Amino acid sequence: MVAGAAPDRADESVLMNILGLSAHYHDSAAALIVDGLPVCAVQEERLSRRKHDSGFPVAAIDYCLTHAGLDPSQLDAVVFYERSLLKFERILTCALRAFPRSWRSFPHAMRNSLGEKMWVRGIIASHLEVPRQKILFTDHHASHAAAAFLTAPTREAAILTADGVGEWATLTAGRGRCEDGHAQIELQREIRYPHSLGLLYSTFTAYLGFAVNEDEYKVMGLAAYGRPTLAADVRRLIRRTADGGFAIEPEYFEYHTTAQRSYSSRFVDLFGPPRDPYDPIDLDTAEGRRFANCAASVQQVLEELLVDIARDLRRESGLPDLCVGGGVALNGVANGRVLAESGFERLFVPPAPGDAGCAIGAALYADRIYFGNPHREVPDHPFWGPEVDAADLTRVAREDGQIFDQFDDGALVDHVAAALAADAIVGWMDGRCEFGPRALGHRSILAAPHSHETRDRLNRDIKNREGFRPFAPVVPIEVASRYFELPSGGARLGRFMSGVFPVRPEWRDALAAVTHVDGSARVQTLEQAMAPRLYALLQAYGRKTGVPILLNTSFNVAGEPIVTTALEGYSTFRRCGLDLLVAGPTVISKRSRSTDEKEAPAWQSGSMAESGAV
Amino acid sequence: MSGGHIARIDRMLRPIHRWIWSNRDRRVRKLLAFAEVETDGGRDILRAAETTPDPLLRRLYLEHAIDELHHGVMFRRRGATLARLRHHASEGGNPLPGGHGLDDLAITDAGDEQLLAFLHVAEKAAAGRFAIYREIVGDDPETQAIFDHILHDEVFHMNYTYRQLARVSPRAWRRQIWRARVSRLWKRYLRLAGALGMAIGSLLLVLQYFAVLPLFAWLARRAERREPAGWSPARRPTAQTSPY
Repeated sequence: MVAGAAPDRADESVLMNILGLSAHYHDSAAALIVDGLPVCAVQEERLSRRKHDSGFPVAAIDYCLTHAGLDPSQLDAVVFYERSLLKFERILTCALRAFPRSWRSFPHAMRNSLGEKMWVRGIIASHLEVPRQKILFTDHHASHAAAAFLTAPTREAAILTADGVGEWATLTAGRGRCEDGHAQIELQREIRYPHSLGLLYSTFTAYLGFAVNEDEYKVMGLAAYGRPTLAADVRRLIRRTADGGFAIEPEYFEYHTTAQRSYSSRFVDLFGPPRDPYDPIDLDTAEGRRFANCAASVQQVLEELLVDIARDLRRESGLPDLCVGGGVALNGVANGRVLAESGFERLFVPPAPGDAGCAIGAALYADRIYFGNPHREVPDHPFWGPEVDAADLTRVAREDGQIFDQFDDGALVDHVAAALAADAIVGWMDGRCEFGPRALGHRSILAAPHSHETRDRLNRDIKNREGFRPFAPVVPIEVASRYFELPSGGARLGRFMSGVFPVRPEWRDALAAVTHVDGSARVQTLEQAMAPRLYALLQAYGRKTGVPILLNTSFNVAGEPIVTTALEGYSTFRRCGLDLLVAGPTVISKRSRSTDEKEAPAWQSGSMAESGAV
Repeated sequence: MSGGHIARIDRMLRPIHRWIWSNRDRRVRKLLAFAEVETDGGRDILRAAETTPDPLLRRLYLEHAIDELHHGVMFRRRGATLARLRHHASEGGNPLPGGHGLDDLAITDAGDEQLLAFLHVAEKAAAGRFAIYREIVGDDPETQAIFDHILHDEVFHMNYTYRQLARVSPRAWRRQIWRARVSRLWKRYLRLAGALGMAIGSLLLVLQYFAVLPLFAWLARRAERREPAGWSPARRPTAQTSPY
């Protein structure tokens, strides 16, 4: 698809305000582009506090416009991230193809589509009071491609997008180029629904008792505990086609015929009974190992397919760079293998490769491709959300009689580094919040990376999550390869925590809290310019302990979105086992560890994960 | 144990409650539904704690939210334990409707008066309902102990919401409580009407499905057979002004 059919604005100097929106499926978001550059982007969940909020992103739009000081009438275009009618066509066609088995899901599917999703133009027009002709649409995978390519610091790259499904496409391949200041994105071929790598993985997510569209990363974490003994069986579900693509075997799946279950009875015959979500995964039992082996097997097959497809793309394009978008790009293990084995020298995964990131992708696509505005390099960071207001934290700490201090920057960093070295766990809020699912140093929980005890304490007292899930390290980019086996291009992939790489064997004991059971870690390689305060903290921690690495996990508890405001950080701090809370110059500390333990509610002392409560 | 006042309607519905709780499958589903409602309610109250300008209310809301989240965990753990005992298969049905929550109250839009009145009425109703459940599950001491614990918390919640409502709205607190009661009734009606409308809509859609779709289904399947597997050329670009 050559997407250049647009008004020719090549020679005009334009100043446009373009709002991009993604909504109605999962992770709604809004992003605002002014004069060709993002000004703000935020997921609705960060403001509504409903995890994976899929509603129309009212609060996110409001934030974007307020932040930029714009009135809706000043918007030149509002771009929705997919073609709602084309998506409806796919839903209706699939219901027809599955006739009469689809009779149960048909009313639900129709109500779901006809209720709101079909009328997105009217909803946008009435909410923002903008003329209907200002509302544009992009293809779902074009939005992913734009989010990956137009935000990457490269002039020409192959593009690969993969997710569950967009309108019809589930995986696309193409290339992007910026020439003479103008960008072009050409998606050349696609795999169509129901053949989907994302849905294959999601089917196993459901089978393993996790929530689809939310918990795919748990399957990836669990995979490290298993062996791919069932890979041959997984390959029976998805066959390779002669043209280098793939096709699922529909009899093993039901996601294309019903809304109730994504796998069929034949799938269960092949892999055994599914896991009950309320049963804990006990890796010491045969059943627990079977589930881990299932996870390892689907992970291996996914990696093989992606590596093969990327290798073909590398051969055809002859380009050294690959931009990857779509929810599948959140699979850091697969990204690591693609980088190592496909022949591409650099892999660019944006900080929000999933549907939320389509908001920024759709807006950039409209700006560069539809309006033909000159390409401008997008700042290479993920911090497009609301700023933390440290004054709020100071005020509530004072009102609530909390122990708090205020420091200048250098003293604060030393104070926090000393606390971390003494095994404190710190809630860290700095500047504008991240756009995307990863905490990359502005809304993070930080801890010493050295011991299993820290990891267990985090899992048990703070995150309330399953013990098998790993934590990630953050390391200054200059010294990353001292501790981790980064292939060429690995440091770039680690910029937004998008790749999983081995921890060097000699450091695994010293980095026990962030080393997964298979010796790997999802490394964040931090450049000073991206998060200077966190970088300074890493340096200070390194001076105290000899290892400038910290455990970095998202600042939230199970079932909740990452915190945005200082007050959300404060309320999280008050009800979990964090020792320090930092926002701007303000540091709140709990009285002491022993006092904390007395204060901690008894119900927090046992792992909720034991009952599957995460 | 501090019992709640059992409403007349709940006394009348006692046989239905007994029927629901007598079966272990239904009991599990009910407990898991409560877990969800309490957790959601806890998060809403947490939101109130994060947005109220009143420091005392912030502390009370926070304590209340922690209680609700704790209740959610207790219900979930108990539901999960009972589910494991009877090898519950998770796809075996949706949870039964839960007891109380924040009824779609827009926390960030509602003032403290409205929220306190709503919480007071909701907590009182829940306490009455939980008191009857506590009686009914006499054969299950662990579940009964959970209701005991929760009823104890509900007394605190009812009291503080009442006192704080009188503090923040000394002249209009009675009116606020009545408004909250009427609002709850209205929302129940809306839920019932919505469910009825959905059932009728589904029936009509199913009728259309069997009456109108067979021919199109045959055509769609015929077209599907002609589709090649593997890669296809990407869709040709259409106007960006079109949702199709």
